[in-house]
Amino acid sequence: MNDLIKELYQEIILDHGQSPRNFGECNPHNKSADGHNPLCGDNLKLTFYINNEDVIEDIKFTGEGCAISLASASLMTEKLKGKKIDVAEEIFSDFTNLVSGSSEDLKVLNEEDSLYALKGVGGFPMRVKCATMAWHAFKSALKS
Amino acid sequence: MLDIKKIREDFPILNKKILNNKNLIYLDTAASAQKPKVVIDEINSFYSNNYANVSRGVHTLSVESTFKYEDARKKVQKFINADSEREIIFTKSATEGINLIANSFASKYINEGDEIILTVMEHHSNIIPWFLIRDRYKCKILFANIDSNGNIDQKHFESLISEKTKLVSITHLSNVFGTIVNQEIIKLCNKEDIPILLDGCQSAAHIPIDVKDLGCDYYVFSGHKLYAPTGVGVFYGKENLIEELPPYQGGGGMIADVSIDGATFTDLPAKFEAGTPPLVEAYGLGVAIDYVNELGMSEISEHEFRLTNYALDKMQELDFVDIHGANKNKHSIISFNIKNVHSHEVSSFLDVEGIAIRAGHHCCQPLMKHLSLNSTARLSFGMYNTEDEVDIFINALKKCRDFFTK
Repeated sequence: MNDLIKELYQEIILDHGQSPRNFGECNPHNKSADGHNPLCGDNLKLTFYINNEDVIEDIKFTGEGCAISLASASLMTEKLKGKKIDVAEEIFSDFTNLVSGSSEDLKVLNEEDSLYALKGVGGFPMRVKCATMAWHAFKSALKS
Repeated sequence: MLDIKKIREDFPILNKKILNNKNLIYLDTAASAQKPKVVIDEINSFYSNNYANVSRGVHTLSVESTFKYEDARKKVQKFINADSEREIIFTKSATEGINLIANSFASKYINEGDEIILTVMEHHSNIIPWFLIRDRYKCKILFANIDSNGNIDQKHFESLISEKTKLVSITHLSNVFGTIVNQEIIKLCNKEDIPILLDGCQSAAHIPIDVKDLGCDYYVFSGHKLYAPTGVGVFYGKENLIEELPPYQGGGGMIADVSIDGATFTDLPAKFEAGTPPLVEAYGLGVAIDYVNELGMSEISEHEFRLTNYALDKMQELDFVDIHGANKNKHSIISFNIKNVHSHEVSSFLDVEGIAIRAGHHCCQPLMKHLSLNSTARLSFGMYNTEDEVDIFINALKKCRDFFTK
């Protein structure tokens, strides 16, 4: 089997792609946004609850998409749950750097992180949007 | 019979190695065709030896450019068997051609409450221009259903026709199903005296086109799917019809006289060609047409049809593959899904095997919604594809299934 494909589809990606975690709608929630990839029609709905201390208490998503987009959304919810907003924003910018091939100056993510499994997306530029769809939904929900 | 080995030598890109040094297998011609060396070289030569703006200067280069540009128009006219060169308008794309007719036609003939009929399997480029018209003129857009084979549901289509119907605009060869429109649909429009526009983006590259035989009033296609450069498309309209239509865009080259009080417009076809046209691209289209004609459009068509059926047979043997609208009327295009594997995964997996296919909604979101699909994978053929390539593709599908559903 081809190394590029193995790197893109690591075990953890296939696992989260097939059985996404935190799949559903967060109730109650005070933030939500839709993610959409016009290239392919993939879409998701992200909902989360931010408490008085600016902590993401709970976060969930629903939607349909490819393994990369589902795994990325699933891993994102795992990572962001319990994080303060400012930390979550740092993770967002680290992650977008990671999948666009600039992994040098990451602030909070490191190689031990499960999100690192998505680094291989950098080798497939057309798939970067799949990996970032949920993250951009998160960012736009924060602004809402 | 075409000598495919020899044809392949005409396309430099087919020597390219993909990612892990795999031979390129290009199965995405429906998105855009690769270019033969003669087209690439002739474009280069035009810029190097003859280039100037057209229909303006009186100097030598302008004359040479104008001659080459107008010669390309004659080639297009013959290629689709139009009556006159005046019926051939060069645009930047087929999309622009549809926008042209939508805007010009609507400004003259469309009023509130009028109806335009499309089908649910149209490409966005044959939907969105009409939505824009609907918003401006408060007319209605009706969508004819399709059957499970990807053909227009004729009864439903008929039921949509009324005295409010002002225009029918439908794909000639579906970019998702590869199905060709039933001639009965066109005949019905002719009988009811309803103008019909055929979107020929796929058909012009895959089957011989005779606009008079077809009975269409308007026809559009793009050059880049016909082995020509990007940036040029063709809009055909029956002379007596487009003579009556107002210009689509204003600019240089389309006027008879201009004063500070107003302007009069020049004759066909220049009336619809405001601004410097894609003249080198149009010339390239003429070269591509010569190339295709030399091989024979019928021969190319037969080769691609055979290949499509060869692939269909092989794919139908795979129980993990769903083919959308599997039937023998398909031409050059097969949309499919591997069960439980997203089309993006299929496309990325095949990519590292050197195989280029399309994945996504194919700019047909209403159709995807109609089929309750999120996206599909699509393979499509050009004159240069072979049965060996299909075999490698089939083998890669099996590997793909094993990898993702082990």
